[in-house]
Amino acid sequence: MGKRNPLFTKVLISNRGEIACRVIETLKKLGIVSIAVFHKSEASSRFVKLADEAYELDSDTPVSAYLDVNQIISVARKCGAEAIHPGYGFLSENSNFAKKVIEAGLVFVGPDPEIIELMGDKIRSREFARENGIPVAPSVTFNGNFDEFIAEASSIGFPLLIKASAGGGGKGMSIVEGPESLRDCARKAMAEAERYFADKSIYAELYVQRPRHIEVQVIGDGSGGAVHLFERECSIQRRFQKIVEEAPAAYLEENVREELCNSAIQLAKAANYKNAGTVEFILTQGGQFYFLEMNTRLQVEHPVTEMVTGVDLVELQLEVAAGYSLRICQEDIKLSGHAIECRICAEVPEKDFIPATGKVYHLERPYGDFVRFENGLDQGQAVTLNFDSMLAKLVVHGPDRSSATQRMKDALSGTVFLGVETNINYLKKVCSHPAFLNEILHTGFIEEHKAYLAEDDFEDVEKIDALLASALEFREFKTLAFGAPEPYATMGSWRN
Amino acid sequence: MMKFEFTLNDCSHHLEIKKLKPILSVAVDGRPHSLEDKERDKSLKVMEVDGRIIQFYSKRVGNKVFLHLHGRNWVINLLDPRDAALGVVDGADEIKAPMPGIVVGINKEPGETVKVGETILTIESMKMETNLVSPRDGTLSEIIKAVGETFEKDQVLACLEVAENA
Repeated sequence: MGKRNPLFTKVLISNRGEIACRVIETLKKLGIVSIAVFHKSEASSRFVKLADEAYELDSDTPVSAYLDVNQIISVARKCGAEAIHPGYGFLSENSNFAKKVIEAGLVFVGPDPEIIELMGDKIRSREFARENGIPVAPSVTFNGNFDEFIAEASSIGFPLLIKASAGGGGKGMSIVEGPESLRDCARKAMAEAERYFADKSIYAELYVQRPRHIEVQVIGDGSGGAVHLFERECSIQRRFQKIVEEAPAAYLEENVREELCNSAIQLAKAANYKNAGTVEFILTQGGQFYFLEMNTRLQVEHPVTEMVTGVDLVELQLEVAAGYSLRICQEDIKLSGHAIECRICAEVPEKDFIPATGKVYHLERPYGDFVRFENGLDQGQAVTLNFDSMLAKLVVHGPDRSSATQRMKDALSGTVFLGVETNINYLKKVCSHPAFLNEILHTGFIEEHKAYLAEDDFEDVEKIDALLASALEFREFKTLAFGAPEPYATMGSWRN
Repeated sequence: MMKFEFTLNDCSHHLEIKKLKPILSVAVDGRPHSLEDKERDKSLKVMEVDGRIIQFYSKRVGNKVFLHLHGRNWVINLLDPRDAALGVVDGADEIKAPMPGIVVGINKEPGETVKVGETILTIESMKMETNLVSPRDGTLSEIIKAVGETFEKDQVLACLEVAENA
């Protein structure tokens, strides 16, 4: 094993918010100088303060700052960084960025640009997975011969999902329950495809009812070494975005887990993969799984894996990026307990999750040995629409799933954001739902339990207390109730 | 005595001060409760309701109160009597932005007749599109924002002609 530090002397993070903070934490632990880049609107952000050095990026809009390939690389060169960690989102899966970083003589903390490109292409990556023996959902594309299409589609089995190849938004999409309606549905889909997209290409794929989203964390060193760090379940999603994730999966037959993890490793090895990565699968209720895609970066939900394996994924990323071979082998990686993550977002779940804005006047985070609270913003900062609505990630660990769930509910109860509406109460309802507790999960969970999740879950007495506490915030009320309070006695206007 | 109207999750609640002495009594939706303001100088505030000591965090922003109490976050609005008078929504002449964002699509032109529920413009906030629909049947008189323009919450984005026989 030996001592490998320092892997680098200086690393630049081409990202912002909580993930920049997360990477800085490991850099500090390893004694590496951390460099942040930021848009001027974020000059007082937490990640800028935490970094050893921070440089402003000149750009029109906040988002474009973090997408400015040339400027980021030029800052990295000027300040003497040896490597760039891209975090997630922004440029993390941009092969052109990776290429230019390497051309500039720097290390990109990620896979080779060709692998980013391969995995970023939905069709090519599925082809690659299929060629390497990883199950891919069976599908058939209409190639001009209608009878052939019908015959091939029938052989996949039912129910089938028929989609317009050029499609989106559900147009030209239908679910075919059995062979008797296949021809009609296919014709209708083609007509709709033609009408909406001026392209009558359609394809059919196996329709998975109540699918679960299971993903496997892998890390490879690019020279043949690759291990998995077990799976995560991310079936609880709203607007196609995960909001509650856990590791390991809520329930999984041991043989299915083994097959899933082995498939992920197989894919990583076939790609001679270098970096941390996530292989995403769809899992049917019957235990069959299909490759969905591979994310070639650190994942938002990586902390649940870290909590159940005790591994620092960012540290491993930096080690393999520095050219070392993996120092852990598969046998070293043991699952311990259960971890759950909730994404705390500025949004109004009752109003179809519309994003909320405001200012965080007061922030209280839960503490404990088994709690991780990863926030990108501090008390006093504004929540704008410039970036994603995630305010923080709350991650807890417990000896088993039910204790982790209880700890999550307690931790959510102890999390305070005043000044902006959040989904904290909603997340607590999700974690209290009988289906969640009974491990009946699928990606339609939020939709299926919409009515339950929309109900008020507070006691009458709690509501009365809340209303009275609110009244105490208003001078108009207090003046009447307690007489004119000293400093305000002369002011008396309704609004100020 | 004066009544206060609050809304919580779109439900309205009435508070009325019933008695000041010997101890303050406030009716919440008709039922009286004793209330004492114990500690307001620290960030964790304390009140006593019907003899129960309750700790909470609170922050008022405009007519909105953000609270953390009994382990949950609450957002409660005080209905300002003057806002209530202005707050026509259904059948209004104006289409207001429900949240800050940017206009990404305009479906109607000034002068066009519109039916209630028809989309007038499409806005985007945080990668999410929302259609803004006409609050009533009528004729569109003005679209104030163009595609690509940004706006704040509650800003008027389009207007209908004032109905003649209204």
